[in-house]
Amino acid sequence: MQINFGSRSVSCKIVYYGPGLSGKTTNIQKIHEQMPSPRKGELTSIKTEGDRTLFFDFMSLDLGKIGGMETRFQIYTVPGQVYYNATRKLVLQGADGIVFVADSGPECMAANVESWRNLKDNLAERGLEITDLPVVIQWNKRDLAGAISTDEMNATINDIDAPTFEAVATEGPGVLETLKSVCGIVCRQLNERQAKMASASKASPPAPVAPAATPASAETMRFVSRRRSTTQTTQKKKGTSTVGPTHAQAPVPPKTHPRTPVRPVHATRKRSRSWWSKMFVALGIIAAVLGIAAALYGIGLW
Amino acid sequence: MSSDADLKNARMVYYESDMAELETVLKRLLDLSRAKRALLIDIEGHMVATCGDGGDQTDLENISALVAGTFAATKETAKLLGEEEFSVLFHQGETDSIQLTLVDDRLLLGIIFDDATTIGMVRLYASETAKKVMDVLGREHSGSETSTMLDDDFGESVETELDNFFGE
Repeated sequence: MQINFGSRSVSCKIVYYGPGLSGKTTNIQKIHEQMPSPRKGELTSIKTEGDRTLFFDFMSLDLGKIGGMETRFQIYTVPGQVYYNATRKLVLQGADGIVFVADSGPECMAANVESWRNLKDNLAERGLEITDLPVVIQWNKRDLAGAISTDEMNATINDIDAPTFEAVATEGPGVLETLKSVCGIVCRQLNERQAKMASASKASPPAPVAPAATPASAETMRFVSRRRSTTQTTQKKKGTSTVGPTHAQAPVPPKTHPRTPVRPVHATRKRSRSWWSKMFVALGIIAAVLGIAAALYGIGLW
Repeated sequence: MSSDADLKNARMVYYESDMAELETVLKRLLDLSRAKRALLIDIEGHMVATCGDGGDQTDLENISALVAGTFAATKETAKLLGEEEFSVLFHQGETDSIQLTLVDDRLLLGIIFDDATTIGMVRLYASETAKKVMDVLGREHSGSETSTMLDDDFGESVETELDNFFGE
């Protein structure tokens, strides 16, 4: 989520999750179809030749100005196939709300359960419980013959008492209702989160401003040393550890972010005076050799 | 630490004063590097700030989402190769190219340029700009903003607008 008081905008991320072929992409396609043109962005799909989502589908939904803020929802779908779990984790990053699209097909209960468990596992890897985020469940493909009853699906999957909606994404029913529900919950929680933080800040007076844990030059050094790796560099050398400083400098205490874990950083290496003197000596020797070679060449001995 | 500072550090909230400075920093980057457009993108895919020519809002939002996804994917690739991360990505096109630089844990700097400049110039100024951006965002929030809260009924207003939007 991003609240930008400069551009007066609020942007929230909604992720459609679920087993393969449950209808996540169909949902976003239907949403895109039904939105009025000025308010919707292009639908971007990164998919295989077989039309299976490879990375994600994405569209932006612009609700216009609400409370003086341009309000946007970025809607993503994840690839549902088991093989693409690593990609699902990437897309799930920063989600503000989740729609779990379950397949009501008669043989699909196991896949639904597996995907629900996978969602919880992927959230747990980020330190989140499934109850930490707004989650809405959609029982899709209600038009299938032999569709599993919603009571059975609810009892088996919905262990968090999330709001549920029946849908037939290919035709449209239930699609917009599901989206409305998750967007509404996300925005209501925004207000609650703000109110909580405001009251917490009023309850305890702000601590006196302490000097930054990492002085600016150390920040710059840490940034520069981390940027040694680019797409063109090779792998780390054998035997070198990437943990802790590589030079005898006092380790710089890292600045902590609430969401991102603290990572060890490399310390930059200062060149000592003896190193420079050795370099000059080496350059001198090379120059001398070249000079001798040139001289020999000049007198015809080489 | 105040809640405003928490929100700023978590890159959840960007304040008006910081945004004005960031736009100045990006404008200077374009002037020096002669690139076409600069974007600051959150790693979750939200566009934070932009400056320059070319591309409408929708295109830029799509680019931001795709860039964030690409960077996330290459970060995982880097880990498999034993690297902490790849801090720079470069995609070269026939007319336009894009250079992506990791600013900090949560921000990317994207620079779109054509043959009016060179990759070397872009990289030189990209690294300087990244440091300036970190300086701006690393500063303690002054608390002097006139408005740093959403309206109390923002959530309800969104739900009402959603009802109107979906034609109920």
